[in-house]
Amino acid sequence: MILVLLSGVLITYFTGAIFYFVGNKTGKAKLQRIALISTIIGCMLNGIILVLRWKLTGRLPLASGSEFLLCFSFFTVIMYLIYEWKSREKKTGSVVMLIVTVLMLSVVGLMADHLAAIQPLMPALKSPWLSVHVLTAAFAYAAFALAAGLAAKNIIKKEYTQHGESICSIVSGGFAMLSISIVLGAIWAEQTWGSYWSWDPKETWALVTWIIYALYLHLHKRQNWQGKRANIMVLTGFILVLFTFFGVNYLMSGLHSYA
Amino acid sequence: MKLWKKVYSYSSSMKTGLMLLALIALISALGSLVVPEVFFQTLLFRLLLFFLIVNMVLCTLRRVIVFNWRLLKTRRLKFVREFGILLLHAGMILIIVGAGVFLVFGQSVMISLSQGESLDVSKEMKVNKPFSIYLDDFHIEYNNDGSASQYYSQVKVTVEKEIKESAGISVNYPLDYQNIKAYQQSYGYKVRIKVTGPENKGTESLLDEEESLTIPGTDKMVKMYKYIPNYDPEYAMYSKTLRPDNPRIIFSVYEKGELLGVGVAKIGEHIKLDDKFSFVFSTVEPYTVLKLKSDPGLPVTSSGAILFMLGVSMALLAGVRVQKQKYAEGINMKNEGMSESK
Repeated sequence: MILVLLSGVLITYFTGAIFYFVGNKTGKAKLQRIALISTIIGCMLNGIILVLRWKLTGRLPLASGSEFLLCFSFFTVIMYLIYEWKSREKKTGSVVMLIVTVLMLSVVGLMADHLAAIQPLMPALKSPWLSVHVLTAAFAYAAFALAAGLAAKNIIKKEYTQHGESICSIVSGGFAMLSISIVLGAIWAEQTWGSYWSWDPKETWALVTWIIYALYLHLHKRQNWQGKRANIMVLTGFILVLFTFFGVNYLMSGLHSYA
Repeated sequence: MKLWKKVYSYSSSMKTGLMLLALIALISALGSLVVPEVFFQTLLFRLLLFFLIVNMVLCTLRRVIVFNWRLLKTRRLKFVREFGILLLHAGMILIIVGAGVFLVFGQSVMISLSQGESLDVSKEMKVNKPFSIYLDDFHIEYNNDGSASQYYSQVKVTVEKEIKESAGISVNYPLDYQNIKAYQQSYGYKVRIKVTGPENKGTESLLDEEESLTIPGTDKMVKMYKYIPNYDPEYAMYSKTLRPDNPRIIFSVYEKGELLGVGVAKIGEHIKLDDKFSFVFSTVEPYTVLKLKSDPGLPVTSSGAILFMLGVSMALLAGVRVQKQKYAEGINMKNEGMSESK
């Protein structure tokens, strides 16, 4: 059941990406509408999977890599939809939907069988801090994905000053969430590992990510850093986000090594 | 004087701070890829953090001095944002200072306790009043699939044999006694071996993993290599699950230092060593590993964390609105400009 829904999400997100791309190139409103509808359906299916997981396991679906990715892409699409509705801008649709398609592809490719089964939580994860720590992280990642979508579009089109205000607001929101997520994680680590900061690879890379967005927030309005450089920083930040997730989870071992 | 001024202006500037941050990020990234265990302990890294603290203190103080308190009355949103930014920087300073206090005065030790064993904590770390920890019981609870659900150490805190506190320590639920916290960190198994030989030449011993026992009066030695709670030949030296569904002990026998053979024994299974001697692994006795920690910097770090989160939230909530206002004003200004030019 979940696997069928998962392929549905993958297909609708991918359809969304393609129709946004073609619709924006040709400027045909009909294609853009198909893209929007496909995206909304995908988002709903994505939400249904999360609810099913919740019912199946009896806890919030935030404990494994695949659950996190589902949450991350769900938030990203919701945020994108709000952005499209508020700004009446569809240009970034193709990039953002491509990002979530890749995320879904990694769920299907790397950990699909994981989603159909119930795995008991390991003792360290049995804590009320789990949900707030992971939710804030997923929210932050989603904001960074959307900001990266906007920045990537700017870089591709060489219109570096477009959406400056939006990118800054979205990054600020993501940055605040990442900050809170890191602190909540530290409080939790103090409870469970007996140390609020251990320079575990995940912690280190979260710090690196945090620093690049901090630099962006300090610099993006300065003359030398406006435009191209600011956009590149936002995009680099998101690449670091992805590395903090995929690279650290699958290439390096540490305290944050969960299935 | 001039030099001092230069040093001051350089060390308190935001530019320096940002450069330090970028360097810290770079070293962390490279460090975690190349030398993940040690990069944060190097002098260079600690110096960078120290310079960052100095820079942030100076930079934040400068911002406090020029802080426009009148904003509170005139532009409340901007005040909330600016004040939030000050708070979050102050919070970061406290977090790093608290971490520094731990680095200098903090203590962290690992202790292992078997059931019925007591340990004088003052022998492991500096304490105000000496006390001991006594382990009543250590056990693992299992999920249906045989994985661990929780690790429990039931302990008593005693001062001169008087019981002060009785508590259960498990993952996520440490014990806090006189500002020393005890965390459930790990566990292990010891195996009791009994050797029987001629003329009561027997012996017995409690062996840790990879520990050996020399059979008295011979050149032979038995090494308890590993206890495997759920043995399955397909998993070789790894336990299939943590639950002791099929416990086995992997051992090896040596003579004059040369390996004679490797075997897998059940608990209670008598194994013949030669014509005279035989041995048995009679019981498995789990022990707990606790981490004891005292962190005098924790109150500083915690208040820093609270300030930091408060500041971040204030700056964000007000910031988004300020930006909207600015944006709206900007558009109005543009419109006015345009209408004037017309």
